[in-house]
Amino acid sequence: MIELVVSALVLASMYGLVAIGISLTWSSIGMLNLAQGFVFTAGGYGAFMVVEALHKAGVHDTTTIALAAILSGMAVSALAGLFVGVLAFLPLHDRANFAVRGLIATLAISLLGTQVFMLTFGARNKPLPQLFGLGRLDIFGVTIPFSQLGTIVVAAVLLGAVAVWMRRSRRGLQMRSMMMNPLGANMVGVSVRTTGMTALAISGALSGLASVMLAQTYFVSPSSGMQPLIVGLIVSLAGGLGSIPGTIAAAIIFGFAEALTSRFLAQSMVPFVQFGLVILILLIRPRGLGGVLEDVRE
Amino acid sequence: MNKKVAPSKTREVGRRRLIPRWPERTEATYIRHRLPGTKRPLLRFEGRFNPKTLRRERILRDKKPLFWVASLLVLLGIPLLAGEQRLYSIFGIICIFASINLFWSLIIGTAGIQSFATLATVGIGAYGATYLSLLLGLPWPVMLLIGTVAGGIMGSLISIPARRLDGMYYALLTLGVSEFCRAYVVQSKELGSKFNGALFGADTFVPKEFGLTSTGQALSYVLTFALLLLSLTAYRIVTKGRIGLLLKTARAESSEDEAFASAIGINYHKMRLIVFIISSAALGFCGAFYAASQGGASLSLFSIDQLLLLLAMIVIGGMGKAEGAVAGTVIVVFITQWFVDWGPWRIVLIGALMLASVHFTRFGLFGLRQQIIEIRDRRKALSRASRTSRYGRFLAEEGPEISDKAIISEREFERHLRSQLKTWVTPAIIAEHQNSPLGQHSDHLERILNYLRKQPLANKYAVFCEVPFQAYKVVALSGMPGVPPRLVDDKIYASLDTAYHAVFLRRISDLKTTG
Amino acid sequence: MTLLDLNEVSAGYGTMRVLHGINFSIRPGERVGLVGLNGHGKTTLISTIVGMTGWQDGSIKFNGKEIGGRRSHGAGRTTPKIVRLGIAIAPQGDAIFPGLSVSDNLDSGAYTPGSWRQRRKRRQDILDIFPPLTRLLRQSAGTLSGGERRMVSVGRALMADADLYLVDEPSLGLAPKISTGLVAALCEIELGDGAMLIAEQNLPLLAGRCDRIVGMHAGEIKDDVGEALGDMPAQGSHND
Repeated sequence: MIELVVSALVLASMYGLVAIGISLTWSSIGMLNLAQGFVFTAGGYGAFMVVEALHKAGVHDTTTIALAAILSGMAVSALAGLFVGVLAFLPLHDRANFAVRGLIATLAISLLGTQVFMLTFGARNKPLPQLFGLGRLDIFGVTIPFSQLGTIVVAAVLLGAVAVWMRRSRRGLQMRSMMMNPLGANMVGVSVRTTGMTALAISGALSGLASVMLAQTYFVSPSSGMQPLIVGLIVSLAGGLGSIPGTIAAAIIFGFAEALTSRFLAQSMVPFVQFGLVILILLIRPRGLGGVLEDVRE
Repeated sequence: MNKKVAPSKTREVGRRRLIPRWPERTEATYIRHRLPGTKRPLLRFEGRFNPKTLRRERILRDKKPLFWVASLLVLLGIPLLAGEQRLYSIFGIICIFASINLFWSLIIGTAGIQSFATLATVGIGAYGATYLSLLLGLPWPVMLLIGTVAGGIMGSLISIPARRLDGMYYALLTLGVSEFCRAYVVQSKELGSKFNGALFGADTFVPKEFGLTSTGQALSYVLTFALLLLSLTAYRIVTKGRIGLLLKTARAESSEDEAFASAIGINYHKMRLIVFIISSAALGFCGAFYAASQGGASLSLFSIDQLLLLLAMIVIGGMGKAEGAVAGTVIVVFITQWFVDWGPWRIVLIGALMLASVHFTRFGLFGLRQQIIEIRDRRKALSRASRTSRYGRFLAEEGPEISDKAIISEREFERHLRSQLKTWVTPAIIAEHQNSPLGQHSDHLERILNYLRKQPLANKYAVFCEVPFQAYKVVALSGMPGVPPRLVDDKIYASLDTAYHAVFLRRISDLKTTG
Repeated sequence: MTLLDLNEVSAGYGTMRVLHGINFSIRPGERVGLVGLNGHGKTTLISTIVGMTGWQDGSIKFNGKEIGGRRSHGAGRTTPKIVRLGIAIAPQGDAIFPGLSVSDNLDSGAYTPGSWRQRRKRRQDILDIFPPLTRLLRQSAGTLSGGERRMVSVGRALMADADLYLVDEPSLGLAPKISTGLVAALCEIELGDGAMLIAEQNLPLLAGRCDRIVGMHAGEIKDDVGEALGDMPAQGSHND
């Protein structure tokens, strides 16, 4: 039972990280970033390279490696997010048909990126070491591996930090005002470009974290970002594009749904359940669970 | 740009296009060759009188059909003439994907529904036809029928949420549907799991042994080409037919268009659904055709990579145009199939082309001309608006209501004149007028007086004589017959000259306050 | 030295030209009223100063710095930069942020350097000017009434430590009692070296409260209308 909850929360953490990034970019600048998978994978590869370099240099301390992996993953993904911004957002944001063209541009970057990764790193999977050590914790007689607990804790901390930053900081206020009323935000000195690049960098960093976490259980491969992208899209849709609490709630729901399905039904049934869930949610609340930005952003 | 003009340094006004022309030979009043059974002429000729050569001639207005025929002949001819297996397969893929893209163009462009479920529909047609053919041993014509029906059903199902969800949400939903179908096929025992997703053994157009000979391959290709021709015809019928034309009104570029369309009685939503379902059925047909020609269906039909490639074809070639769909298909398929040894660089190239197309063009390759024209027109209009100010003194609404535009120029002229006169009104001038209201004046004063005297009668100041040579007052004329002038104030002037000067002062002060 | 200087400024949207060769300037410490009927270009003038029109021509100098110019793409692209030079705008129709609280809305107006750090104090100053906002601080701005939204919008503009305040139609859509109080409050604010431009349809509200009143007709500035017109009847039918 407890293992179920824990694995559900692990899934929820990762989906939440990716979904919040997508939600943030969509609601602040109106661009659906389908290159999020590319950004995700970039972080994984970045962490891999750094860890490899550290190993070659003789560093084997778990904490150092863990910190290095996490930080480098987030940094590389943030850079990848900015790269996406330079290619797809900055040139197109004030031209006609931006939503569709941005979508296609991000798709093209996704296509390109996967191939570039394949060329640079080869198609074989790259492993990342266990970041949190191989130990296990005893809770109520059930053993939970550190990796799972670590994932949940780190994700929760970072998501919480982002939520607080949005509420309290000046930049966060600027982003929230851009979500509500872009023209009004212009009038108080908030530029669309700065907001957009900030949003892309943040969502990149969050995806990078998710990528590094995921890479402990699975591997880093050129197309490892596809699945998280799709589920991230579904979760952010269900949570309501633009609402952080809604997205977190949706992430938890979907995490539990997947854990329950793979435990009691079959792993292969998971896509159906997810699909059915999002349809159900959208039928009841067409704007998602959060539904905060009712008429503002289409 | 008219090549028939003798080379000279002077530029022609306006743009001249290269128009093929040849002299009129017959004496018949007009010649009309029509396509049998229709009212359309074969090619759009126009007879006219050439002012330069002073002879009758005929010019061809629309050159597009010629390009189409040429390209299609090339498409058909190259593989047939070369006879190579490789070319057959490449061109076959081109034809099938071009057909799929044409219908996808219909869905996105004409119906305006951003659906990514095209490949899923094709796949359902293919798998459905294959499965039933295997199960019940059906021949290939029935397979085509099954595919069409399956596609139509799928289209109807997907179209239900199209009204409730808008653009982006709907696109994501269809992406999800595509994934869903793939997941289902992968794990389904009947459909996929045996051969890793592929299903074989259905009936084909050409029996297996025959199909391996060169005549068999040629036949197979010709049939695939026929599919392309059918698709082009269908595309044409829908876009240039009644539904297509009516849907143009409701092109949702601004939501006002939709409101406008329904206000004049176009049930645009029903029409969009019709186009969507027809296209879905056609996509199912394509799928079944593919299954029939290959003898089965494979999982690649559902993969997102394939879908992205299809999207690349439409984006690069141009959405919403038949030439775009076909040209884009040719380009992308060529890159992927011909340059196989490039490996992943092919996709990099295609991705780069997609990016470039989305950056620089609005409508893809074949929309470039229209885009350039639009940009040029917009720039001209803007520079015109910022340069001229002729109609500027009026609010935009007033312009059309003034039927005599000369009034606008008059007011403009008077405005200039007034601003000039205002600078000439100095104390010296006023003193000069006071000295001698009538008689010889300086140039400036004369001009001022001329202007003041030309004003319309209504509210014009005049002198009223109460007691001759003793008492004068200033009045304002009414300008209307039968209505007496009104007293402006009670001041009494002892002499005519002082009264004239008082009128002058009033007129001057009025001049100063008008715009 | 003038604070704001417009020289032969024309502007419009698309093919429609709204302003025709405007020559206009504001000196430091001035409170200028801009009157005219609807549709004659008051809002366009304000939009042009902050760069939100479709295109504009001519030179606009703010504190000696050139902020105008020929532009024909995306309205609002240069607005953030211009606004940060020290211009605060309370636009027609409020443009507040509906999902944010009143307090957040006000804070978003503190974008000039230094005003963010002093935002608590400045917020208190605003609450002193508009007392009804005090109990609304935590409320979401989308649920406010018309007069309250106007106060938030104007208050937000006042949060910035700006050199030039542009207020567009503060009395639009408000009941006479509220609009009188609002405009009175606006006109009592100490300007120091700054300046304020109030565009208003309702001339009597401004009479006697501004240093000068300028008229606008068909996209052109008429000469100073003067304060003598305080006894003219109210224009526009929006007053009750």
